[in-house]
Amino acid sequence: MMTEKGRVLERLLSGQFICQISDESSWRQLKQPAFTDAINDMLAPLNRVLATAAEGNVFYTAYQSLGDPERKHLGQQFQDIAGQLRPLTEWLLLVQSTTGQDAPLSEGSPLRLTELQTVIEDTPALAEHLARLARYRLFNSTSPQPDQQLRQIFKRLTDMGYLIKPNPDRLVFLATGKIDYLFEVIRFIDESENLQLAERAESAHQQDSLL
Amino acid sequence: MSQDHLQQAGKALFRALSRHSDLILSAYLAGSVDETQSDPDTLDKLVRLGILWRPEADAELRLRRVVRALLEEGLQDVRNRQIDANLGSALTTLKTLTEHYKEARYRRAAVEADAYLADLREHVYGLTEGLRRHVRVLWERIHHEFGYVASIDAKIRENELAQTQVSELLNQLELIRFDQLGELAGQDRDLRRLLIVSLQRTFTEVAKELSLVQAKLIELIGRFREFQGRTRLLRGFLLHLEQHPDYRPRDLTRQSEVPQLFNQSSAIIAPAAINPHDSLLENELVQLVAALKTTPRDSLRDEQDRQGTPFQLQENETLSLQEDAIRQAVDAYFCQVIDQGERLSALEYLEQNTLDCNREVWLYRVIGGYEGLPDDERQFFELEHLTRDDPVFANQVIEDVALWLA
Repeated sequence: MMTEKGRVLERLLSGQFICQISDESSWRQLKQPAFTDAINDMLAPLNRVLATAAEGNVFYTAYQSLGDPERKHLGQQFQDIAGQLRPLTEWLLLVQSTTGQDAPLSEGSPLRLTELQTVIEDTPALAEHLARLARYRLFNSTSPQPDQQLRQIFKRLTDMGYLIKPNPDRLVFLATGKIDYLFEVIRFIDESENLQLAERAESAHQQDSLL
Repeated sequence: MSQDHLQQAGKALFRALSRHSDLILSAYLAGSVDETQSDPDTLDKLVRLGILWRPEADAELRLRRVVRALLEEGLQDVRNRQIDANLGSALTTLKTLTEHYKEARYRRAAVEADAYLADLREHVYGLTEGLRRHVRVLWERIHHEFGYVASIDAKIRENELAQTQVSELLNQLELIRFDQLGELAGQDRDLRRLLIVSLQRTFTEVAKELSLVQAKLIELIGRFREFQGRTRLLRGFLLHLEQHPDYRPRDLTRQSEVPQLFNQSSAIIAPAAINPHDSLLENELVQLVAALKTTPRDSLRDEQDRQGTPFQLQENETLSLQEDAIRQAVDAYFCQVIDQGERLSALEYLEQNTLDCNREVWLYRVIGGYEGLPDDERQFFELEHLTRDDPVFANQVIEDVALWLA
């Protein structure tokens, strides 16, 4: 029988993120300093260390020291994430305008695929947005049908760990902590390159309301 | 006389409220009365009773504030944001009434004093109830997370309004000076109970609740600001991408110090497979298998099945079952018994014909062959089991069988 530590290690070493939504019992354990120390001891021989994001609510593994192969991997990974940012941002905004909520998706937010589908099918602008979104390589849907496009997008997002589907029989999804990680990535890029994204959005919003 | 009169007027008011409840409720929900849909006489009557009023000459008829407040209170409507604790004037009223009461006591006018005390009691209870209601209204709005407004910006504004109301209430509470009230009450037991005990209890409770409300409001506004910040971040990022279509973020992993956010190690274990030979897992595996569902066949297959195949009428092919060798040997043994008409042991027959068959299997098949005959055929034969007792277990072991014609 696998121990709790074994289970957490397996998840971490297979490259997954652990948050309260994706694996609550492991997450609770990881919140205990003694447990994280034990996990770090086990990760150390593999040149790995436990890392956290989103105010310590999301756990994953990082390299302890960086040699050439590690740097190569990280560089590749950064390019992957950078390439995903645009489709993911557009998807988040699409969800927000479809659900009519001002609050963007965050860890634990439920998403009902059929509800989204109904609204999108009834609103040509949203359907167009969805079709554009579905064609990104990240989602790679070839179907002209909104329901198929949505399903493909949700499937890809579930594969990538941004969503989970708690009940296999129902089309209800929950956002995981990886969504919060994504926001942190955008914020980090914003700050490090001084893009002033929030100010830009604010001034565009004010211009809109002036017009 | 005057009490009777008040009672009659009160009843008339309640009757009017109940008779025109539809109109009043629709005015409550819509904000004003649609005068084209209502009878002018009714409206006049409601105005006379002080249920409706016209704020300005050309304005629509609206519900009086007190009626509205009654409904908001009774329906626990979250849109109720009115919080006006005018403690200063309430306290002055209390002081005035107390002076009246003390003077009446001094003059030994007992009836008058009782009336003032009842009035004072009403005011104190009204004040405490009002304070508690304000706290409850605030909590309700927090519990609904200001759900009665849609956008985050509006929620932030509502939250700010609630925060000013809380600070206002706290400022007002400071107006209650218990040393002054103590002096005012003097040694009178009734006054002390009303002005000090009752007010102080409410004061402590409300002050405690308000500090909790304040903390919660600050927490909520933090969350709203976070949402607002995130939405702006997304919109800003998209705007940036539209203005710079070729934008790629600078590779932050090239720095000597890679930010932890982008230091995500590669996966080194692949998903493991289950081991069906592990008996410890048996329980789980059985449950997994039990939970399996038959999935419907793929649609193509369904389609083909549904279309059917061309049907041709032809003779059935004759089926020939290949009977196995031992079965044939058993039949031959029976035939030999019939031909010779003599008792023949099954094992002897086996040896004579040198059949390639285990002795025990042979005996089973012969017994089976005999038992398997239809009743009317079986009656021509007799079968005897040649047995011996097992020395250890006292079972009867069949060593051979003999067959003859009956």
